[in-house]
Amino acid sequence: MKLDKKKIRGYREFLYVLPFIILVLIFAYYPLYGWVYAFYDYKPPAPLSPDQFVGFKWFHYMLDNEIKRKQIFQVLLNTFAISGLSMLFSWFPMMFAVFLNEIQCQPFKKFVQTVTTLPNFISWVLVYSIAFCVFNSTGVVNSVLMQLGIIDMPIMFLQSSEHIWFKMWLWLTWKNAGWAAIMYIAAITGIDEELIDAARVDGANRWKIIWHITIPSILPTYLVLLFLNMANFLSNGMEQFFVFQNSFNVDYIQVLDLYVYNMAMGGGAYSLSTAIGVLKSVVSIILLCVMNTISKVTRGEGFI
Amino acid sequence: MKAKRIVSLLTAGALVLGTIAGCGGAGGDAATQPADSGQTEAKADTGSADAKADTAAADAGSGDTMEIEVYDAAANYQGLQTGWFDKVVKDRFNIDLNIIAPQVAGDAIYQTRTSAGNLGDIVLLDAVDFADCVKAGLIKDISADIGNYSNLNGFIDQIKVYNSGLEGNNGEIYGIPTQMMNTSPTSYSQDVIYSSPLLRWDYYQELGMPDIKDLDGLVDVLGQMQKAHPTNDAGDPCYAVSLWPDWDGNDNMLGIANVVQLTTWYGEKIKDSAILKADGKTFTPITDKTATYYKMLKFLNSLYKAGLVDPDSGTQDWNAACAKMSAGQVNMFWYSWQVGFWNSQERLDNGTAMIFVPVDDQNYYADADPYYGSGRVFGIGSGVDDAKYKTILEFLDWYASPEGLEFEHAGIKDFNYTVGSDGKYTAINDNALMDNLNVPEEYGGAGYNDGNNQINEWIVSANAINPNTNETYAKDYWSSWKASTLTQMKKDWAARFGAAEPAEWMQKNNKLVISPNVTVPLGSDTADISVVRNQCNKTLCDASWKMIFVKDDASFDSMWDEMTATMDGQGFQDLYKFDVEKWQPQVDAKNAVK
Repeated sequence: MKLDKKKIRGYREFLYVLPFIILVLIFAYYPLYGWVYAFYDYKPPAPLSPDQFVGFKWFHYMLDNEIKRKQIFQVLLNTFAISGLSMLFSWFPMMFAVFLNEIQCQPFKKFVQTVTTLPNFISWVLVYSIAFCVFNSTGVVNSVLMQLGIIDMPIMFLQSSEHIWFKMWLWLTWKNAGWAAIMYIAAITGIDEELIDAARVDGANRWKIIWHITIPSILPTYLVLLFLNMANFLSNGMEQFFVFQNSFNVDYIQVLDLYVYNMAMGGGAYSLSTAIGVLKSVVSIILLCVMNTISKVTRGEGFI
Repeated sequence: MKAKRIVSLLTAGALVLGTIAGCGGAGGDAATQPADSGQTEAKADTGSADAKADTAAADAGSGDTMEIEVYDAAANYQGLQTGWFDKVVKDRFNIDLNIIAPQVAGDAIYQTRTSAGNLGDIVLLDAVDFADCVKAGLIKDISADIGNYSNLNGFIDQIKVYNSGLEGNNGEIYGIPTQMMNTSPTSYSQDVIYSSPLLRWDYYQELGMPDIKDLDGLVDVLGQMQKAHPTNDAGDPCYAVSLWPDWDGNDNMLGIANVVQLTTWYGEKIKDSAILKADGKTFTPITDKTATYYKMLKFLNSLYKAGLVDPDSGTQDWNAACAKMSAGQVNMFWYSWQVGFWNSQERLDNGTAMIFVPVDDQNYYADADPYYGSGRVFGIGSGVDDAKYKTILEFLDWYASPEGLEFEHAGIKDFNYTVGSDGKYTAINDNALMDNLNVPEEYGGAGYNDGNNQINEWIVSANAINPNTNETYAKDYWSSWKASTLTQMKKDWAARFGAAEPAEWMQKNNKLVISPNVTVPLGSDTADISVVRNQCNKTLCDASWKMIFVKDDASFDSMWDEMTATMDGQGFQDLYKFDVEKWQPQVDAKNAVK
């Protein structure tokens, strides 16, 4: 009798999660069916047929001569550089949250937080229009510099490939820092007040409290986010780079996701793009597993 | 405790509801097709509600309006046709035109709709896609019925020639070519050609109307113009040219669209990765340093070195470039239609308009009248039922009839033109499109531009002769229009160059290479070739843009060589071989007509 009750409860709880399982199946597993395109010579509008099957041809195609290897290598380098840069500075939103938390004047604090969070909700297309208005040859920056007599020819900010990785990081940070800080602010709020009071009684100043209490308390949050980001190392998204790309900077801005998009949507290389996408997913899974192992070794617990 | 339970129950309920709602969306998204038609249906509903009110007011007692989906590669508008053209069509056929525009929705819609097996009821595609769709069984065979429709039947020779070229065709008729004419495949009936150097006439006059020997001479003249007029009236900087990258690689082109167009100034024509030389027979790769792509790229580079290229050229889009043209910040145009953004009647009168100025060593390429059509093709979707099929054929027949063509090309009688006692037409309200004037009440009274024909492609060309007037359908060649536009500027131009119109000057001086109009089906890319084409195009465009903006010849050439090496590595030689084979039949056909 007791067992039955347990069983019924089991079924009931399964029903609770069933909708989510279905969602995951539809959105995460059903699209995997699209991977078959990587093994065919596919070209719309003709539907897939067995005689177009080509096996691993497109996987070989990526690397079958010096030029193509060079191109893939450059794309990977861009991906790693841009991801690496944001990883290197991933402490930035955390420190931002810490300092934000130290602001005593509530209205000012709220103002700063709102202003920094807002850009997160602007689409990249709009960000680029803003960038174009500010940085084009007759934009605000060039006009001011020229009127002050600092330069006599407009500087083509958007057209140069110099420091492009760093510039992309700056734009990303401008857009995301406030949003990313929210998680840390939540973590800071969770710190036990008694700890801070005790430290104060022991004579700790603000710096010491930050250093010995705030940061150690939010470090676990930071590490989990960092590890999750590392698993996403290869996917830095494409919208940002898509809107900022032009013929002058494309060599250094083309990351893996953008490369896949340019190939497929630019000219119908669906099969090759899918093949690259498949490889990317495989590498990402491996990265995730490696990170999980590292996490287990260093922190004693994994995150998946 | 109880409160807590209620709260948790409520939360669970909300979650489940949310999930179900999510599922609804999910089902639609998983198959993009239904989601898409769901959207259009939603639009259609509101549209037909209005429409019903309209028709009820106009003629009570008409049955349900039939909705015709038009998959339209030429349209710049997506959704239901509205306004006066909708009224004209509905009064005659009781149909709504629901336009699906890949130029608005993105090319992916072609892929999703073709894989769903139904592109649309009426289909308008580029020739290569059309042939693919016939092969995939998406287009209906109309050979049994087309003979019953007199207006379409008037072009049956041209239609048959097009269809006989479809792969494996045994006399079936699937497609109706667009913009056909009733002249001949080798005649040229327009006053201007598609691409030629167009300069500000008043600036050119100020310089004393010098002879321009070659491209260096042109750079020189443009340099003097910019020196004399560094800014427009509003104080914004002027440039000789302002380029835009967003059209690169479209329409059978490899490379920067602007450069590709300029190559026709020396009689050559780019056919994908190959350049057809001025003799109309030999091909050379686009990477050939002695051919025109290199030459015109170098020309733009010399303009840059002289400080005459808009520095934003590589990063702005068409809209930004267009705004500069309309503001008078650009001193040279090269597309014949670009003048539409500057030449108003007022500017033609006071001589500040743009007009063709010849360069001595040039030899202009022009496509002959589109006797066999301009390259796009109308067809009927294979999925339509009999009633719809009949209505569509009736509609297309009207669309090719003098009455239909007058609406399409000339507009509304007594609003866009008046009919004189001699039966000839005279244009009125010629700013109707530009200023979106309200049409008469009997046509619904809304803006003319808003209600304009959104199909944006025609079975018969605007330059074909209207049997009602013995003049063209388009107002530009009406005798009344010519008389009213003979300005001082035009007279000065004629006196300087000794011809009434640019095309006449070119023909007189033997400077026009007319390429006969033929219709030859072109092979479509294999999966391999389309990858190579895409990569080579990207390499070529990126390198070309950089080359326009380099400071010396040595780095220009080293970049060109590096680009050629990269393209070869990406398989350019295979692509070139494929393209020459692809275009050879067309070239042969053209030479046979000559």
